[in-house]
Amino acid sequence: MAYLLSLKQNIASFFMEIGEMSFFSLRFFKELFTKPFEFKELLNQCYVMGNKSLFLVGVTGLILGIVFTLQTRPTLMDFGAVAWMPSMISISIVREIGPVIIALICAGRIGSSIGAEIGSMRVTEQIDAMEVSGTNPFKYLVVTRILAATLMLPLLVIFGDFIALIGSAIVENMKGSVSFVLYFNQVFEALTFSDIFPATIKTFFFGFAIGLVGCFKGYTSKKGTAGVGKASNSAVVYTSMLLFIIDFIAVFVTDIFV
Amino acid sequence: MKKTNTQNLQLGIFVILGLLIFVIAVYYIGKQQNLFGNTTQISSVFKNVNGLQLGNNVRFSGVNVGTVKNISILNDTAICVDMIIQNKTLTLIKKNALATISSDGLVGSMIVNILPGEESASEHIQLGDTIKSISKIATADMLTTLNTTNENAALLTADLLKITNAINKGEGLLGALIKDETMATEIKQSISTLQLISKSALQTVTKLNKMIDAIDIKNSVAGVLLNDTISAKKMSFLIESLNQSAIEINEITANFNAFSKELKNNEGALNYVMNDTIFVNHLDSSMKNIDQATEKLNENMEALKHNFLFRRYFRKLERENAKDEKN
Amino acid sequence: MNSKSNKEVLLVKDLFKGFGDNKVLNGFNLSLFEGENLVLMGKSGSGKSVLIKCLVGLMPPDSGSVELLGQDISKLNHSEMNDLRTNVGFLFQGSALYDSMTVRENLEFPLRRHSKKLTEEETDTLVMEALENVGLTHTVDWMPEELSGGMQRRIALARALILKPKIIFYDEPTTGLDPITAKEIILLILKIQEKFKTSSLIITHDVDCARVISNRMLLLLDGINYAEGTFTELSSSNDPKIKAFFK
Repeated sequence: MAYLLSLKQNIASFFMEIGEMSFFSLRFFKELFTKPFEFKELLNQCYVMGNKSLFLVGVTGLILGIVFTLQTRPTLMDFGAVAWMPSMISISIVREIGPVIIALICAGRIGSSIGAEIGSMRVTEQIDAMEVSGTNPFKYLVVTRILAATLMLPLLVIFGDFIALIGSAIVENMKGSVSFVLYFNQVFEALTFSDIFPATIKTFFFGFAIGLVGCFKGYTSKKGTAGVGKASNSAVVYTSMLLFIIDFIAVFVTDIFV
Repeated sequence: MKKTNTQNLQLGIFVILGLLIFVIAVYYIGKQQNLFGNTTQISSVFKNVNGLQLGNNVRFSGVNVGTVKNISILNDTAICVDMIIQNKTLTLIKKNALATISSDGLVGSMIVNILPGEESASEHIQLGDTIKSISKIATADMLTTLNTTNENAALLTADLLKITNAINKGEGLLGALIKDETMATEIKQSISTLQLISKSALQTVTKLNKMIDAIDIKNSVAGVLLNDTISAKKMSFLIESLNQSAIEINEITANFNAFSKELKNNEGALNYVMNDTIFVNHLDSSMKNIDQATEKLNENMEALKHNFLFRRYFRKLERENAKDEKN
Repeated sequence: MNSKSNKEVLLVKDLFKGFGDNKVLNGFNLSLFEGENLVLMGKSGSGKSVLIKCLVGLMPPDSGSVELLGQDISKLNHSEMNDLRTNVGFLFQGSALYDSMTVRENLEFPLRRHSKKLTEEETDTLVMEALENVGLTHTVDWMPEELSGGMQRRIALARALILKPKIIFYDEPTTGLDPITAKEIILLILKIQEKFKTSSLIITHDVDCARVISNRMLLLLDGINYAEGTFTELSSSNDPKIKAFFK
């Protein structure tokens, strides 16, 4: 009985959280289109999320490309289809693996830092201080961060994909005798707009999800240092889950229209 | 403020680089699909496009020159395929060019291949032109053909089976020939008789040789014989006829050998039939010859026995034989 | 020490505020006169912080009215509220300096927000002036994490003062500080109060702080203003509930 009760409570709190988050995102859109715009802070956040994550994304992308190519090669070699490596690797990286892996990395890097930052600002009353200083903290903190994440993630994914393909090309260049020119020729031969556009549009939603969940968890975090930790932790967990759900929906929708 | 400026500068570089990569990628992908640059649209009508898709490559003699832009079904036997062709290759494609749809590799995507026409035409295609299409045998068509071939083969086999059965049962001329057991038995018998004859002939010749030896050396009757003109005449005649018999037997044996060789080398029924009459004739004449020879030989032998000159020799021979049997 | 007048800068009437079943404020009344230092004492969890947030509009009360400088804050829209807030300073419990900004940026923040027409030089002058008031001009380019607790509190005070507000709310100005630093802060508050002739509402549970600073005191108990008077009046009271505060 107690178990059922707690289950009921858990389900209720889950739906409450979903509802709260929906209101939160609604508020984001409302505040997004009303003056004033915190443009400077937006640029600052873009810099923090974009430039500061580039190294991480680059390393991840490079390793992803190298490892993915090394792992796939033997299988294709069995089929005598090594010539298909560039097209296969590029399609799977651009369509799926690149966006998802880089979004997950960014969920860890950006989502958790947003959660922790806003959470600690909430806990130490910095958000209140901001409001007293005549600033709308939602605009200043939340809108800028969600917007920055939404704008920067596609760019990071583009960089990540590109670097992953370079990594893959390096492997192909060393293991097989595929020149860089041939590799990228085959890559562009294989890719179509129906690969690149849905994948890129998807990343905007990934970025939005990362920003939204991070801000939501931080903004509504409870008092105390534990609250900050929980905010940043659950930001990553929820974001990762949400990323896969969005990915599923995106693939589903892409499948219908393309 | 300085910090903000460097930040913004770095951010700007970051954003522009990212966008640049994206734009370059889009440009190259678009270039592959011939969405940019100078292109011209032409079309061709096919009966069957075999799963051709939008964006598939169009090749001119194996070189990528464009992509498929649109596929529309005109009616139940005509499918119009619109293609975008690069302008720089446009002048190379003449009006009598032929379009085919084929597969790029074993499991690759379909491609439209434009082949130059057989006769050289001076005019090249222009915007909106429709070029002729030829349909290569598609897999499905190939299977249909194969099926017909199979059916034919089945019919053929059935007929063949009937014929074979008929032959086995001994129907028809060929069958009769092949199945004629009596003939085979006759041939067998002839051969064994022939063997016997040649054996006895050989024995006779050996005996004769011994006799002559005996005449010459052991009993020194040769001189007597040679001086006795009547006997000598008779003797020489006897030996002559004996010789002739031997030669005839030899001939028969040679003939017979040749025939059996032929029989061995060409075991076909047809060959058998072809050799048949000759063989039978041969066989007949051989038999006759052999008969005659044997008769003559027997006569000679009898005459020889009764000749007083040889009587002693024959008796001696009989004694020796009896001695051998005793021992 | 006092330049008391009878003009009310803050008037709170019948304030109610509760969170679910937990009624924190049950008809709280308060009036703050121009130029006085009013100390509000209460136990932890008695709703002091809730009250002070209701006063500056960070939290809407369930019922009751708050008149700040003659304006009912519940009837103000966002921009009017922001205008009003330029006249109100707020010193937060944990200083609440923005960790991602330098001291200078922390101080510039309210300036830029409230009065956007200032030039770079004017802003700079104001920042240095505010830092001078708290004696920390050398930390202008430091990050908050490089400052000690006491320094943070002083920077926070400088930030609260930078707009030269008419009223300053102090939320537990001495918590988390060692007695010596606490004393420094108290003296600094007094000094500034004299210099700028501001009215102050100080929320604390620190008796020493209350004794030094207060012109008048209020005791918050069970969600209402339980007792009112000077420090000496209240500390010599025989009411056991009041006595409990001064142990």
